[in-house]
This record gives sequence, C-alpha cells and structure tokens, in this order.
Amino acid sequence: MIALWDGLPAETQDIALVVLLILPALIVGRIVLRGYAPWPLIGALLWRFRWANGLFVLLIAVSVGMGIGLLAQERGLRQGTAAAADKFDLVVTAPGSEITMMLAAVFLQPSDVPLLDGATYAAIAGHENVALAAPLGFGDSFGASPIVGTTAEFAIHLSDGRIEGRMWQDYGEAVVGALTPLQIGDGFIPAHGVGDGAEHDAHGGEELHVVGRMGATGTPWDRAILLPIETVWDVHGLANGHAPEHGEQIGPPFDPAYFPGTPVIIVRANELWANYALRSEFITDRTMAFFPGTVLGNLYRVLGDIRQAISLMTLVTQSLVAASVLLGLFILSNLFQRQLALLRALGAPARFVFAILWSYGAVLLVVGAAFGTVLGMIAATVLSRVISARTDILVSAPIGWSEIHYLAGFISLMTLLSLLPALAAFRKSIVAGLRS
Amino acid sequence: MTMPLSVTDCVVRSDRGRVLLSVPSLELGPGVSLGIRGPSGAGKSTLLYALAGLSDRAEGSIRWGDTELLALSTARRTQFRAAWIGMIFQDFLLFDELGALANASLPAMFAPRSDRSALKTRAGAQLAHLGITALKRTVDSFSGGERQRVAVARALSNDAGILLADEPTASLNRDAADALIADLVAKVRNNGKTLIAVSHDAHLLDSMDQIISLTDGQIETPSGARPA
Amino acid sequence: MLTRRAFALIALTFPLAARLYAQEGTIKLRDLYNKDLSFSELAISLEGKRIFVDGFMAPPLKAESDFFVLTKKPMAVCPFCESSADWPDDILAIYTKRTVKVTPFNVKILVHGVLELGDMTDPDTGFVSRVRIVDAKYK
Ligand SMILES: Nc1ncnc2c1ncn2[C@@H]1O[C@H](COP(=O)(O)OP(=O)(O)OP(=O)(O)O)[C@@H](O)[C@H]1O
Ligand SMILES: [Mg+2]
Repeated sequence: MIALWDGLPAETQDIALVVLLILPALIVGRIVLRGYAPWPLIGALLWRFRWANGLFVLLIAVSVGMGIGLLAQERGLRQGTAAAADKFDLVVTAPGSEITMMLAAVFLQPSDVPLLDGATYAAIAGHENVALAAPLGFGDSFGASPIVGTTAEFAIHLSDGRIEGRMWQDYGEAVVGALTPLQIGDGFIPAHGVGDGAEHDAHGGEELHVVGRMGATGTPWDRAILLPIETVWDVHGLANGHAPEHGEQIGPPFDPAYFPGTPVIIVRANELWANYALRSEFITDRTMAFFPGTVLGNLYRVLGDIRQAISLMTLVTQSLVAASVLLGLFILSNLFQRQLALLRALGAPARFVFAILWSYGAVLLVVGAAFGTVLGMIAATVLSRVISARTDILVSAPIGWSEIHYLAGFISLMTLLSLLPALAAFRKSIVAGLRS
Repeated sequence: MTMPLSVTDCVVRSDRGRVLLSVPSLELGPGVSLGIRGPSGAGKSTLLYALAGLSDRAEGSIRWGDTELLALSTARRTQFRAAWIGMIFQDFLLFDELGALANASLPAMFAPRSDRSALKTRAGAQLAHLGITALKRTVDSFSGGERQRVAVARALSNDAGILLADEPTASLNRDAADALIADLVAKVRNNGKTLIAVSHDAHLLDSMDQIISLTDGQIETPSGARPA
Repeated sequence: MLTRRAFALIALTFPLAARLYAQEGTIKLRDLYNKDLSFSELAISLEGKRIFVDGFMAPPLKAESDFFVLTKKPMAVCPFCESSADWPDDILAIYTKRTVKVTPFNVKILVHGVLELGDMTDPDTGFVSRVRIVDAKYK
C-alpha cells in the first residue's frame, strides 16, 4: 500500500489526493440526494433569496480567494527568488551576514560591504575545480540602474550567452540588462553611489558606451549595467587589476599586487562536490563562503513556519466565514419553513427536505469556492505584477496543487458542516409550518 | 382504489392544551364524498390535517382501511400520504418561482424514478384539462383562480385514492367552480376515490354524498347524511 | 502547504508501519561501496529498489530544487577538504519527488527512494553523480 503510493509519480499522487479530499463531499452528496430530482426546486429557492445568496457567495469567495491567493503568492515568491539566485551557486565575501551579502550580491541591494584582497581572489580563481570566479564591483549607478563591474565570463553566465550586440572589448564599454532604459549605442555618465545620495560629477564625467544588451533574466540584474571591473576600479582612481605592462588587459587573470579588492566573488565549480569543498575552504577568519540557495532555503524554512501560522489563520477565518454563512442559511431557512412543510404535507420524505436544505448550502459553498478561486488567481496575478515591478524579480503565482488540495479540503469540510443547518428541516411540526 | 375511513374519539389540542377539534365518531365508506361546512375557525382545516396524518397532536384513532394513521411513525405517515392522499390547500401553497407544470408535478421530485414520467404526464394532462396553458411561466404572475387550478392539478397528479380539499373553489368564478366540482365528483364516481372537501360553496356541498357541519371543533350533525 | 503532510499521512493510513520498516531496512552510506570505491554487492543487489538511507542534508546549492546532497556526517565538518580528487564515498545525490524543504544541516533525516547506480549528468546543473536516490522523500 505505502510502497504503491511511493511509487506513484507526484502528479498522480496530487490527483489522488484531490479525489480523496473531495470524496467526503461527493459521498455525502450522493447519499443525501440519492433517488431525488430536487434541482428545479433548489434553483427556485436560490433565486427567491438571490440577494442574500449573492452576499453569502461573495463572503465565501473573498475568504477563499484570500487563502488561495496567499498560498499561490507565497510559492510564487519562493520560486521567483530561488530562480533569481539560480546563477549564484557559491558566493565568497568578507565575513559578515550571509543575508546581507546575498542581498547585495544576488539581489543588488546596496549595502556597505568590506573587500576581499587579490590573494584571496587568486586562490579561488586558481582552484582546479573552479570554472568561473567573477569579482563584482558595486557602488556606482546611472539613474535607477546599479552599475556592476565584473568579468565578461560572468555576464555571459548570467545571461546564458543571450547578449544582443556584443560583449565589451574595451574600458569604456558596457553591457546593459533588459530593463535598463539605455539602448545599444547610447552613452552615459555613471554617478558615484546609488539612489538620491549619488554624486553625479564625482567621476569627472567620463562617458561610457553601451555595446550590448542581455536577454531578460527575471532578476534585479535586468536593471543593472555591467562594465569591465577594470573600468569601475579605474574611475575610482584605483589600480586596475593588472600590472602596468598589461595595462590595457580586460578580464582575468588579475595580478594580486594590483588588485584593488572586490566585495564579492561569484564562484561556479565544475563538480558538485567541489562546491562543498570550496565552501569549506573559504570559510576562514578573513573570508566567508555560502550558497545563496541555502540561505534562501533557510529563509523559506523560517518563513514557512510563519506561512503555516498564516495559512492556519486564513483557514480558520475561512471556516468562520463559511460557518456564519451556514448560520445565516439556518436563519434563512425560517423563511421557507412553509414551503418545507408543504413538501412534507405532499408526502416528501424528511430526507428530501433535508436534501433541499443541504444542497442549497452546498451550492452556495461550491459557487463561492469557485469564485474564490478566480478571485485568488486574480489577486495573486496582480500581486505578482506589483512585486515584479517593485523588485525586478520575476514572480508568477499560478494556482498549484496545494491550492487545489486546500479547496477540495475546504469544500469537503464545509459540505459536511452544512449537514447541520439542514437539520432545520426537522425543526417545526408540519401543521405549524403550513400555518406560518 | 380507495378505502373506508373510521375516526373514533379523535381529539386535537393546541400547544396550550385547548381543544381545537373533537370527533367522537366519523365513518365514511370507500368511494364516498363528504362535504364539511362550518363557520371560520370551526376547525375544518384542523380536521383535514388530522385526516392527512399531518397533525402531531391528534389523539384517538384515525383509520384509513387497515391503517391506523396515528399509530404510524412520521416517516410511515409521510409514505402513506405520498401513496394515498392528494391535498388541496386553502391558500394553494405553490412555489412562486416555478412554472405551472413544475408545481403540479412537484411530487415527481421525490417519487421513485420509475413513477416520475407518469406523474409528470398526469400533471400536464390535469393542467390542460383545467385550462392552464402557460406551463413554463412562473406562477407568481398567475391569478388567484389559476393558482387554485394549479394546486388542484398537483393534488391529482399522484392519482391518489383519497382527495382532501380545503375550499377548492373559493377563488374560482361560478363557471370554473362548477366545472371543477363536476370534475372532482366524476373522478370520485368513476375512479372510486374518496373526496373530503371543506367548502362554503353550496354547489359543491350539494354534489357531495354526505355533509357534516363543524362548529367550535364539534361535529353538529354527525348523521347528516343525505341521500346520494 | 501546511496540510500536505497530514493529508499524505491520512492517505497512507499506516505511518507507523512505515516508520518500523524504515528502522529495520536502513542502509549506511558506506555500505554502498567496497574499499576500492567500486559498488558493493549490497548496492548492486538493491539497484532499482526503494531503500531507506539516513544521513544529513548538506546545505543545498539551489533553493526550490528537487535535489540535495546527503552526507554521512553533518556538513559543518568538511568531509572532503583533504580528498578532492575522487567522488567522496560518504555523500549521496538525492533527487526528490517534490521540491526540497531545507532541513538544517545538523538534523538527521531518513531518505526513502529508488537507488540508481552509474554516472549521470544532471541536465540542469551539469554536475555528475555516481550513485543517486531518485523519486525520494525524506523526513
Ligand atoms: N396551533 C394552534 N394554537 C392555537 N390555536 C390554533 C392553532 N391552530 C389552529 N388554531 C385555532 O383553531 C381553530 C380552528 O382552526 P382551523 O384553521 O381549523 O379553522 P377553519 O375551520 O379551517 O377556519 P377557516 O374557515 O377560516 O379556514 C381556529 O380558531 C384557530 O385559531
Ligand atoms: Mg381553514
């Protein structure tokens, strides 16, 4: 049994789970409605109280929509941020907070970070299992775009080689992200610093030229302008990473003696285990090495606990809303006591009257849940757009299996609960009902 | 197909214990029609409800053939009603949001699947016979007379052996009332049904085999039998 | 989501049985290899079968992936600082059925999945593994 379950593909398990979750509702429905054809009557009653019913449906839809939107959004955020960190296997920085460093290196959030020296860089770049060791130089900006000095290899790695135009070949050349306002051929003057405090004339007005444009990556790097790191060092009046006799060289190898320092080195190893070896090797008193994936994963785990609390809360809210709707139905059923009594006077079995009331509630719940799903999808889409626009991290939050499970569970639970107000069918004697 | 009625020492009290109806004895042969008259509040509807097994508070004995109605459980009484009784209520009690045919064939919704189509056909035929042609239009737009005829069609749709009618002609004009009376009487005669009708309508009462008068819950002329 | 686990447990109905079985059949990482790092007879006999292996989740390279590395000892102590030449014999590549939820590196986990032997290159990362557990779940 367990072995069979384990052997099923995830998709099949998910579908099976939906079936399993919705089964109680279906079974109850089948038992309650067996042998009857009450739908015209239920339709008539629903129509009679259409305004109240509309309100009930709306209440359920909003609460379900919030739950679903939240779940989808949370997963979308996780996937979006994880995808944004995808190109960053191993990051080496000066010791400090992994989260701060990750925000700076992966998500280009400006922060004050100490530098690593040339010897450290050389040690990493020279490691036999290192396929890519890219220094990143932050600090300048152009408009809303952070300027990052790095190597051509990193730009290619980052964009998977999708560069329109060409790679830089000289000091004054830049490659821009897909969302920067600059076009190939444009010139621009970098400002020192980022944001409102940027000093525009600090670098003596040396103009740089855009020669290439990267394909969209769905990360904050889409907003960035990449330069040869030599240019960044140069405009700050530092050594340019190469001995004077190689003064015109762009890109590695760098000469440790002329290496002004880099806050971050992005490392890509050519073997899986080497990532771990490198990580251990560069966790020293002067360097820190971490996997952004792990940092994010740990964050998700911590946030996961919060999410659990929140989903529990939404589930409770949702159940409360549904319960009050059912209570409303119970009260509403007073208004059709007479019709119910009539049915029984005409010879309708008690179960038929019960079925009418139950179906009435179940229809409201299912319709509410369906609208809620649509609402949740819209909410998640809108939220994703807002977040993507604000952070440049591509977030998309389609409805996933967990939401469908959540819905199925909710519907089952509530249709079971709506057996209770249906008991109103037996509240009054028939004659009293007929006379009311 | 129908059966005789025998009521003995039947008492119906209100919630507070006031006696609403007290029938020491009432006998009715199978296929006989009975008219009930009496002033408003006399307990006529109460008696019909009791005879239909709708009253929880009825005591004594109400026998339809071999069936002691008051000894049955609620569920069995409901079954009995579905199988044997067609009721016409004083204030029609239709579902306003349904059409004439859906109202008249309402019992089809809970009838066994095999009986449904026959029931619907019968309801449709009854409506046609009673001159109701708008089958789909919801009955909230119907006149009082039209509503009454839909209620009659519904009572006849399950082809029950016992018809209990509470003022079935009250909302009809003279001609329509007379037609309905003739119709009901013919049904009773030809198909051997029992009809018990509460009415103030002299035409209807005149067509009945027997008449009783109710006042203050008491039968005044228990032996008010008239020659058929 | 919050209740997936619970649902799965309800679905399985015999979580206890699974746990008992798990304790009996658990395999040690080193049992998969001979001294010369070739596959042990045990490994060969279990190839393609669903097995239990316990260990620790190494800090994952990627968030939201279906892959992680299982280590014999918690990853805080570096297992390969000295030997970087060979594929170390005390780590195992795990490909999970569902997206990995990161477990702290010092919490012991029990992995349950199908044993695969032989070199395989991960199409996404390009990393090569010699031994894997695929379609895995863990707790
Ligand atoms: N549940 C009750 N509690 C107290 N009194 C009741 C109750 N039900 C009916 N009554 C009273 O019993 C009496 C008989 O009612 P019933 O409806 O049978 O009268 P009726 O003969 O059908 O009158 P009408 O011709 O106006 O329809 C009335 O006075 C009514 O107010
Ligand atoms: Mg009356």
